[in-house]
Formats: sequence, structure tokens, C-alpha cells
Amino acid sequence: MASSIQRFSALAGSQLRRQTLTRGFRTASATNAAQAMTMPAMSPTMTEGGIAAWKFKEGESFSAGDVLLEVETDKAQIDVEAPEDGVLAKIIVPEGAKGVAVGTRIAVLAEQGDDLATLEMPAEDAKLEAKKEEITPEQSTKQQHTAQTKPPTVEASAESTPAASHNHPDPKRPQHPSPSVMNLLKTHKLEASQIAGTGPKGRLLKGDILAHLGRINKAAPGELSARLTKYSKLDLSNIKPAAPKPKPAAAAPPPEKEAVKPAPPKESELAMPVNFASVSRVQEKLQNTLGVRVPLSTFINKATAAANAALPPAKSAPTQDELFNDLLGLPNSPRKASRGNFTPTITPLPRKGVQAVEFGPSTEQPDIFDVLIGAAPTRGVAARTKPKGPQEGILAGGENLLTLKVPADEEERARVFLGRVKGLLEERAGELVL
Amino acid sequence: MLKSFVPRASRSILRPLASSTFAPSTYYLVPRRGFASETEEHDVVVIGGGPGGYVAAIKAAQEGLKTACIEKRGSLGGTCLNVGCIPSKSLLNNSHIYHQILHDVKNRGIDVGDVKLNLTQMMKAKETSVTGLTKGIEFLFKKNGVDYVKGTGTITGEHEIKVNLLEGGEQTLRAKNIIIATGSEATPFPGLTIDEQKVVTSTGAIALQEVPKKMVVIGGGIIGLEMGSVWSRLGAEVTVVEYLGAIGGPGMDTDMAKTMQKILAKQGIKFKLNTKVVSGEVSEQGVGVKIEAAKGGKEETLDADVVLVAIGRRPYTAGLGLENVGIELDERGRVIIDQEYRTKVPHIRAIGDATFGAMLAHKAEEEGIAAVEYISKGYGHVNYGAIPSVMYTHPEAAWVGLTEQEVKASGKAYNVGSFPFVANSRAKTNLDTEGMVKFIADKDTDRILGIHIIGPNAGEMIAEGVLAIEYGASSEDVGRTSHAHPTLSEAFKEAAMACYSKPIHA
Repeated sequence: MASSIQRFSALAGSQLRRQTLTRGFRTASATNAAQAMTMPAMSPTMTEGGIAAWKFKEGESFSAGDVLLEVETDKAQIDVEAPEDGVLAKIIVPEGAKGVAVGTRIAVLAEQGDDLATLEMPAEDAKLEAKKEEITPEQSTKQQHTAQTKPPTVEASAESTPAASHNHPDPKRPQHPSPSVMNLLKTHKLEASQIAGTGPKGRLLKGDILAHLGRINKAAPGELSARLTKYSKLDLSNIKPAAPKPKPAAAAPPPEKEAVKPAPPKESELAMPVNFASVSRVQEKLQNTLGVRVPLSTFINKATAAANAALPPAKSAPTQDELFNDLLGLPNSPRKASRGNFTPTITPLPRKGVQAVEFGPSTEQPDIFDVLIGAAPTRGVAARTKPKGPQEGILAGGENLLTLKVPADEEERARVFLGRVKGLLEERAGELVL
Repeated sequence: MLKSFVPRASRSILRPLASSTFAPSTYYLVPRRGFASETEEHDVVVIGGGPGGYVAAIKAAQEGLKTACIEKRGSLGGTCLNVGCIPSKSLLNNSHIYHQILHDVKNRGIDVGDVKLNLTQMMKAKETSVTGLTKGIEFLFKKNGVDYVKGTGTITGEHEIKVNLLEGGEQTLRAKNIIIATGSEATPFPGLTIDEQKVVTSTGAIALQEVPKKMVVIGGGIIGLEMGSVWSRLGAEVTVVEYLGAIGGPGMDTDMAKTMQKILAKQGIKFKLNTKVVSGEVSEQGVGVKIEAAKGGKEETLDADVVLVAIGRRPYTAGLGLENVGIELDERGRVIIDQEYRTKVPHIRAIGDATFGAMLAHKAEEEGIAAVEYISKGYGHVNYGAIPSVMYTHPEAAWVGLTEQEVKASGKAYNVGSFPFVANSRAKTNLDTEGMVKFIADKDTDRILGIHIIGPNAGEMIAEGVLAIEYGASSEDVGRTSHAHPTLSEAFKEAAMACYSKPIHA
């Protein structure tokens, strides 16, 4: 009840100049308790604001539509209107206050004609209530007390505004008893106000009356409500987080592939001759002009990295959506280009102008980059590795062979990749080290 | 396998490639994303335009929030509108009419000549419905001012989403709040490769190009029974294989499941319950499905032209980039959230099939609205105890709340009231009297715990039951509420009366 005034409809937008206390403005006379007014949220993102001005003084009465105060946000100053007549009983947060959190109690409002001196001030836990739309035990006992001394009739309660009754059903005063409840009330000459409701938002249910009459266990309605409340929430108990996945490779294959991918992927081997003459020239040039020796491995690494960028998509099996679109003759969205992670193997070419090269499995091959670095006159490394038999002479100006083993469905990507590496090493070697 | 690839003119190696995939060297040597355009920050960006996502987007816009919705399919509405609820309902309705003309209208005094099925036209009618509805959402987006971004969204930062646009290029969206509504996909059956021709999911089952002679449905849940019904009515011999001892999935009341099974069996669908599928083999002729009793037993092979895999659905979050912001999934791939749909990153929320709870379009819609209201107002409402389930077979089955087996398990005393449609005047005049309404209420308080219906239009009738449960009604409340005469809904009222007192007409 005390929370009613802060149920502003939180409309967004800084263009909103005037905000009305549209909902749930209940009269306080029924309980003779005042209502807390809390800092309203003028936009969904607003967490705090300032009070630019109070338009009324303590003890002054206002009518519906009057601007009660101006709230200052980082965007604008917004007027807050009162939807009903009332009295500004007490100002708690004075004008000029800044950084007042939304939901903080800023004033106490009362009904016109209330005796301000004897008025009960609402408890400070109003903030909590606003969120839960519940009534604190403290207040509910207070209401019970007043209800007993001054029992409002069902007819009287029906006069309260529909909006208010919708948002804040008073557990003691059902606005519209359901048919079974009405039947029991009339048959047994009961007043709804004498009985506590256990239904959703405090509605009075048939079970509550039966319990009141002693026909069933007094605790039964409450227990059942508690049980049903459990079902009304999403069951988030016993969540078992998935085990962390192993880190995916630098360029994971498109995820939709995994479901349909056949178990042992067929492999293709691609080969392409490449001439390092251009690279040697650039190396020499750099050596002469800058005095820096750039190892061949740097060129190859950079060419590989560059050539891997934005390769055409792999020919994976079609996804469910694609199959469906094919069936209906709908256009499929094109597969995206993605980064590859190919690493070619480089071996010397036995003779020039080779068309087809026989190549065994490359398991026995030593790491070519060791060899390459070994050949370069970088002292520390040269001492560690030595050129090995078959690789001798693959460097500096000679014809070499780039080979690559790839799954069959990635063949197209691999071809593009090899073409790019070759192009880069033979024609754009200079750009690689710039 | 050895292949050689030797370019003819090595000098021009870059040229032919450049046309399609190769860019100038300066571009790839200093890799950058390209075409990325920053846009103004949105209050809410919804990823996924299905029933959860599009509803959330429209609601957010109506709340005055600057909203964008990302959808990669090219048409809005998600699985539900494009390949799920909506197209299947079109086929269910039209196949029912066809079946009725073939087998039923003669009794009603209507003689028809040669009745022929035009499947192509039936599919077209379905597509017209789908297109109309998906375009309708696009219209609603325009009307409410939702920015519709066509592409695949990936969360790259806590407030940043990169979208690979369908038309090419990339767009970066910045968002104060993100709602994940990426939905689900059919769970594949291990050992059977989905080709959507012979081995189909629900997606393929609504687009078969001819009526199969024999169809095997793996899974006797709602999707399996609906699609099985469609093709059975159109002439297929349908066998449903279900691992559990009852159809309808675990949420269906046992009584209702048994009744439904009898009705469907009468319509010609064969059931193999407590049976597991061991393996399947696709050949030229069709698919051989090996089955055996769930507890072990003799193996048997079912031949089929089409096998429908309908064993459930699983959350779909592939490519969403959840790992980039540390959002966790549970062991079944569901996004882990709290009661306000917040993930580990509080301003990123997840709703619908991608997270916990029943995989239902209307549940996702409720969550979409609630998630937006949590953002704009700090409070949202979904009552998970009052979410209806409907199976659109004929007759339909619908239920809300607890099943009798659940209530029994809780150990509390309860009343059951049921009323058959055969005693309902409207059902009688319609010559459509299969099924019944069943109320379950707490014995002490008479508060309704569950309502289960099998009958014509059960899916519409259940709405009243949901409302009753939402308001905590007793069966007497429903029984004392006037229901028009003569309507099917009188059966609903009479079942309520049967629960707390006695029905008049039975």
C-alpha cells in the first residue's frame, strides 16, 4: 500500500516532459497511514537524479494534476504530477539534493483532511516493497488492526479506482470475489474483510473461506499456495555447467559442420613450385642498403599469414537451413570467407618445370624452418641446427616445392592459399618486409 | 590422393585470383575488418527474430527504447513461423479437410466425386500463410520503429555485436542491453544423417514433395504425432517408435496419453512404444530402421521411404560468441540465467529455447516481454505454472498445470472431474465427439491444479483453463461461470462441476 505512489509507469525518452503518477495512487484514509513517495525513475536507464524544486510546502494540499516537484536527470528536468488530491505531509529529501537513488523515500503524502500530527509515517523499507509489490508484515498487521476497528464493506471497496485495485489488491478486501467465494460469503453471512486471502497477489479464494469456516485444515490454503508458487518460477535448480571446451584452433572450422561431417576426412595433397629468386634479391638489397639480414623464414611466415586471410569458405556439408532452402528453391545466404590456418611444407625441387610430383607422406620430413634459419647467418641459431642432407640447396634463388596436406573439402581453399603464397614470394617479396 | 597444381603462367598468378578472393597486398598485409560501420548505440539489441526475439524487440520499442533485432534467416519469425508451428498447422488443417472429404462427409449428406490430392498446391497454400505472417512481422517492426538487421550476430564485447550482413559486409552494433533469443534446432539422431529428403526433421517433414508410402517417426512427442498425422491422412503408412511407455512426451497426463493413442491408432497410425531405434541405414530404396524393445529383445527392421527424426530439440548458440564475454552454458547447451533472465553478464539476457524451460513459442514470447520489462521497469511477469501445451492432432490435446501423476506423487488428496464430449450438444451436432475434459483440483481447497483436454478445438478451450489457474480459481468458480449454449465450452464447465459436485448432463 505504501508503495503505491512509486509505481510510475517508467516511460523512456528524454522528450517526455511531464510524468504523471498514473498508477496505484490509493487513498490513505482507509488505514490512516500516510504513503511514502519515492524517487521516481523517469527513464529506464535512470538510477539516480536530483530534486530541482518542490512546488509545495510541507502541510500544503494539492489537487490532481498539480506539479508536485521537478526531478533533474542528466538529460532533462521533468515535472512530476499528482494524479489525485492529497497533502504533502513531509518532505524528506530537500530541494537541491543531487544523486538521489531511484526508490529512495523523498516525501510522505497523506489524504486531504488527515490529521498530520497523528498520522502514522510509513516504514522506510518502502524501497524494497516497490519491487516486489508486496506488503511488509509490519504494515499488514497495521492494516489488520485498522480493519478490525473500522471494517470496510465489500461494496465500499468496490468504489476504489480499478487501476489501483488491479495493482494493489488488499488481501483483506477483495474487489471482486469469485463466484464460489461470493457464494460462500453470502451463504454463511461472512464479511470478506474478516478473512485473509492466499491466492495470487492476496486474492481471496474458496479455500480461504473453507479454512475460515473450519471445514478444512486452517493451514491448507497457505501450504497449497506455497507449493504452487514453486511451480510458477522457472526451475533453475541443479544447473550443471558444461565442462569447459578445449581451446579451439586458431581458425576453427564453421561450427555447423560438426554434426554432418563424415568421420575420417579424405585428405588431398597439393603441390606448387615456388622460386625464391625474388626473395633473395630483396634480402640482398636490404643487406646492402640497411645492413639488416632478414631470414628467409620471415618472408615465408609473413607470406603464409597474409595468404591465410579471408580464404573462400570450405565446402562443408549443407546445413539444415540450406537443405530446406534448396528444397523450396529459396536463395541461400552465401558462405562467408574466413581465415585459414594452412602451413605449407617446403622442399627443394629436383628438376625444373615439373608438372606432377610424386610425394609420399610427409611424416619423415624435418622441420623446414629449422633448416632455413640454419642457413641464414644468424649466429645463435646457426650453431643449433645444421642443414641436413636432402634439403641442401633449397634456398636462395632455387626452385622449391610448396606442399600442403588438406581435407578433401578444403581443397579449394588450399589452392587459393598456395597461389597467394607463391604470388607473394615471387612478386611481392619486397612488400612482405615493409 | 595426390594432386598437383601448377599454374600455367606464374607471372600472372595473382590476377585471376584477385577477381574473386584476392585483395590488394596492402589490405591483407595489414589485416583489418573492412566495411565495418559503427552505428549509434541502441538501448536493446535482440539477437534472433523468432517468437521470443521479435516480440521482445517490438515490446522494447513500445517501451520507448531504441531497439534493433538481428535475424540471419532472411525472414522473421524464426523456426515457429518459417519451418515449425505455422506451416505445420497449415498442413494439419488442410490434410484434415482432405481426410474428412474422403472418409467423413458422405455420412453428413455430402456426396463428392473424384477427390484428388494436389500436394503442390497444398504446399503453396502453406507458403502463402508463412509469407503473409513473416512479412507481417516486418511491417510491425517498421510500425514500432525496430531496426531490422539482416545478418548473423556475434557478441564481440559486453556491449558490442558484430553482424555479418546477409547482403555482404559487416556492421557493428553497440548496445546497452542484449537479449539472446537464438532458439533451438532439431536434435539429430546418432547414426542417422539428416538429408531432409529421406531422413528428415520437422523442417523436411513439412516440405516432402510426394506422399511417402511408408513413414517411420522416431519419437512420439508432439512434433512426431502432428507430422505423423499429416502424412497418415494424406495416405502414408505411419509407424511411431517411442522409447518411453507413453506418447505425448513427459508433460502429458497418462490418462490423456492413453486416450490419445487409442484415437490415433483408430486413424491408422501404428505405435511401437517402449521401443528403441538401434540404427538406420539409407539405401536407394529408402531407409531401414532397426528397432528393438527398450529393455532389450529381438531386433526388427522397419522399412520406410521417409524417416522423421523427432526426438527433441536442442538450444542453438553456435557462432554467437558467448565465449567472448564468458557466458556459460549448461551441459545441455542451455544459456545459464537467473530468474530475471540475466546471464553472467547482467545486461545480457537470454530467453526462449536457448535457455531453460519448455521449448514453446508462447513461453518464449512471455519471456521476451518480461525480459524487456525487467530492463525498462525492473519487474516482469511469467507464471511458469500456467503455460499451456497444445498438440494439434485431430482431435486436439491441450493441457495446463499439473498432471494427475504429478499430483499423485506429491501425496496430497485431490479431486478429478471429467466430462466426455459425447455428452456435449455441440460436439454431437458436429458429429465430432471424441475426447473429454478433465479437471484436477486440490481436495481441501478445490483450487484447480491442472486441466487436461482432448477434443475438437482443445487448443482454444485451454485458454480459459490458463486464465483460471492464473487467478487461482477453484473448480467451483469455473462451474458457476456461465458458458454459452450450445458450445463445446459447456463440456469445460460440466467437467468443473463434476470436480466439486456433479455434472448436469452426465
